[in-house]
Amino acid sequence: MKSAPTLSSAFLKPAGESLPQPLLALRKERGKALVDMPLPTRKTENWKYSSRHLKLSDELANSLPAGGATTDAAAGGYRIVIRNGVVDASTSVLPQVEGLSVQRFADLTDEDAAELARSLDSTLDTRATQMARLNSARFEDGLLIRLKPDTVVDQPLFVIHEVTATAAGSAFPRIYVDAGRHSGMTLVEEFLSSGDESAMVDAVTEFTLADGARITGVRLVAEGQNIQHIGATGVRQLRSSRFESHCVGFGGPLRRHDLRVRLEGEGAECKLNGVVVTQDKQHYDNHTCIDHMVPNCNSEETYRNIAADESHAVFNGRIHIHKDAQKSNANMNNKNLLLSTGAEIDTKPELEIYADDVKCAHGATIGQLDDTSLFYLVSRGIARREASVLLTMAFINELVAQIPVEQVRNSANERLNQFFDDAFREA
Amino acid sequence: MATTDKEVKELIKREYEHGFVTEIEADTFEPGLNEDVIRRLSAIKQEPEFMLEWRLKAYRRWLEMEEPDWAHVGYPKIDYNSISYYSAPKRKEDMPQSLDEVDPELLKTYEKLGIPLHEREKLAGVAVDAVFDSVSVATTFKEPLAKAGVIFCSISEAVRDYPELVQKYLGSVVPAGDNFFAGLNAAAFSDGTFVYVPKGVRCPMELSTYFRINAANTGQFERTLIIADEGSYVSYLEGCTAPMRDENQLHAAVVELVAMDDAQIKYSTVQNWYPGDEEGKGGIFNFVTKRGTCLGRNSKISWTQVETGSAVTWKYPSCILRGDNSVGEFYSVALTNNYQQADTGTKMIHLGKNTSSTIISKGISAGRSSNAYRGLVKFQPGAEGARNFTQCDSLLIGDQCGAHTFPYIESRNKSAIVEHEATTSKVSDEQMFLCRQRGIDPEQAVSMIVNGFCKEVFKELPMEFAVEAGKLLEVSLEGSVG
Repeated sequence: MKSAPTLSSAFLKPAGESLPQPLLALRKERGKALVDMPLPTRKTENWKYSSRHLKLSDELANSLPAGGATTDAAAGGYRIVIRNGVVDASTSVLPQVEGLSVQRFADLTDEDAAELARSLDSTLDTRATQMARLNSARFEDGLLIRLKPDTVVDQPLFVIHEVTATAAGSAFPRIYVDAGRHSGMTLVEEFLSSGDESAMVDAVTEFTLADGARITGVRLVAEGQNIQHIGATGVRQLRSSRFESHCVGFGGPLRRHDLRVRLEGEGAECKLNGVVVTQDKQHYDNHTCIDHMVPNCNSEETYRNIAADESHAVFNGRIHIHKDAQKSNANMNNKNLLLSTGAEIDTKPELEIYADDVKCAHGATIGQLDDTSLFYLVSRGIARREASVLLTMAFINELVAQIPVEQVRNSANERLNQFFDDAFREA
Repeated sequence: MATTDKEVKELIKREYEHGFVTEIEADTFEPGLNEDVIRRLSAIKQEPEFMLEWRLKAYRRWLEMEEPDWAHVGYPKIDYNSISYYSAPKRKEDMPQSLDEVDPELLKTYEKLGIPLHEREKLAGVAVDAVFDSVSVATTFKEPLAKAGVIFCSISEAVRDYPELVQKYLGSVVPAGDNFFAGLNAAAFSDGTFVYVPKGVRCPMELSTYFRINAANTGQFERTLIIADEGSYVSYLEGCTAPMRDENQLHAAVVELVAMDDAQIKYSTVQNWYPGDEEGKGGIFNFVTKRGTCLGRNSKISWTQVETGSAVTWKYPSCILRGDNSVGEFYSVALTNNYQQADTGTKMIHLGKNTSSTIISKGISAGRSSNAYRGLVKFQPGAEGARNFTQCDSLLIGDQCGAHTFPYIESRNKSAIVEHEATTSKVSDEQMFLCRQRGIDPEQAVSMIVNGFCKEVFKELPMEFAVEAGKLLEVSLEGSVG
């Protein structure tokens, strides 16, 4: 049998030696574990549908140089720019809120760094996110966001992940959020790019929520068509905490996001929303996993995909109710709209249940615009194309409207309108 | 609920009632599989040359294949060389010409199993082909079937008597290299059933096969091939049992169905292999590949299965919907108790226009068992206007068991519509209370509720089987509530 290709050793040479010693040591250790790591293939269950889009070359192993032009991202509020994986202090507007500390990894004391090194990766299932593991071996900088108990941040904090692809290479942005008891904040992550060389972003964000914390994570992925995006988000929730996630994704050559939430304290709840649109030959793959580890937790998940032209959208949602996690309530819903026969949608809503007194349900559909609704609108004098756009918009608007940050809502809608213009150009 | 639970826990546990061993002299091959064994097997069966070639090719291919490990089941590694690949009741003469010549011990066995093997039991109206260990021992109702033009015989006979049909269709749906267990079966299948229903014929009675593994250390590798020609209809039932033994036994069968234009095949299974004892010791490993292809327009294949037995089940009866307007159906009840593990489901591959499929799967797990539904619904670009509806529900009884759902849905046609729904629940306290309050004892109440849960599937079964299936559920569930 032909042996599967393995990760090129070029990817295991991290740059940026300015990190504190404990983090450098962690990076090295994680790198060792990746030596000869088999790359995902069609036979790798969690990359079954997406491995054909993953194109690694030794050129991509280079670190992208720091610096370069600034994209004019959404203004206002608190803003931090992470350019090519390195925090750019000069263009950042740091919040001055008591109880909130935002630090670069590079600025951490050895003591804090040692503590961080112990926590990093603790929210991820590293077996399931093999490509995101590369981040832990390669990050050159990162953001540590800590919220003291009872601290509530008044405005959303924007983190702009910018990639300047003026040469081939990769960026490895990293964020760790440690939310204390009853603290609260909204973190918006926007992924943007400039330049047109092929590049890769491998981004990992982790959240730990102490008792009663309320955190909202918003994620907008809108990089250029030259960027492969691999992202992982890990969340650990303690008692009565609440996590909300809103992801809006626009397709690209490779787009992958693994979102994993572990409900570890009773009464914790999470709500995960996601919208994905793809066109041309784009791809987008969302993998989510919710672990109900203890009794009395709730989870709710809604994802919608729209695939046009010859694009390919994938959704894999998994709910895992552990033994003794009685009275769990889990709901997953995935609806997909296939706009063209050249496009492909693959979905796999999974349930794995080891407790009997639970309420779990999932539903998934793949279909097209409803003829009756279309007819209704057309018979009232609305042009067919416009009617199609309206119905398609309605399909996802329910989720877009729930995004709690107006700027993101607006910028998502703007991009979605562009998408509809393109997707229905001949219709 | 505490008293109820206790009462239920104390309910008698009826043992696996088909667990007897029949003392019969048997010709059994020494354990192990190699080309010589296959040659001997083929020689005993007096098979034509093409069959031996086909087996050997499959065997060589199988040697290079790896055992699949993706299913949600765990079992000790199987040593394929410790299994005997052929065991047949010893007979003095050649094949028995009529039932009178069949060994009375064997007939008694089937009587114990309640199979209407004897032709005098015409009332039952079911034609039976009984497979005992590796060979088909008796086929009933051959004459009336022959009058209608239906061929219903053991596959060994078919290989000798209808080689052109066998050569054309054997392996056309499940190729020898399809998967590890199908490969093993292709190399070593010992017997099975062959059915051919000619054009425009509606098979006058239900056809049925009963499989039994009797000898120790043997595996059963039967192969079933059913061909329904244009406009024909056939309903086929299959049942299986095995003695209680402490060691695990392997059952790796292949079933192939071919439906031409306007033909319809209904395939029902009640699987009740020995599931192992309460500690999970022994039991059958049931690794089966079943697939049907709707070759013709307007054809229909319907799978109905009630899975209550086996220590480990790995089974995905599938439909390839090639012909336009063809229909695939899958109705399943899978019940696991004690340490049983089941990973079962279906595949619906839509290729033709306006094809439609329905999947109704009911999983019930009790004790420390694990029950998984794994299904694939796939629409290829040509599947214009195709439609699928899937519903898989799980019922958990007890807090030590697991219920899982792994549905794969792939669509590449914009006019195709798929809907998938899944729920998980338990026998609720309210339901139990309602029944108990009306004087129904807890065991009956659970059985009623479970029967209600499975009703959608049971109504698809032929009548005799529906009754048997209902009873089987009761037996399997006993002692599981609590």
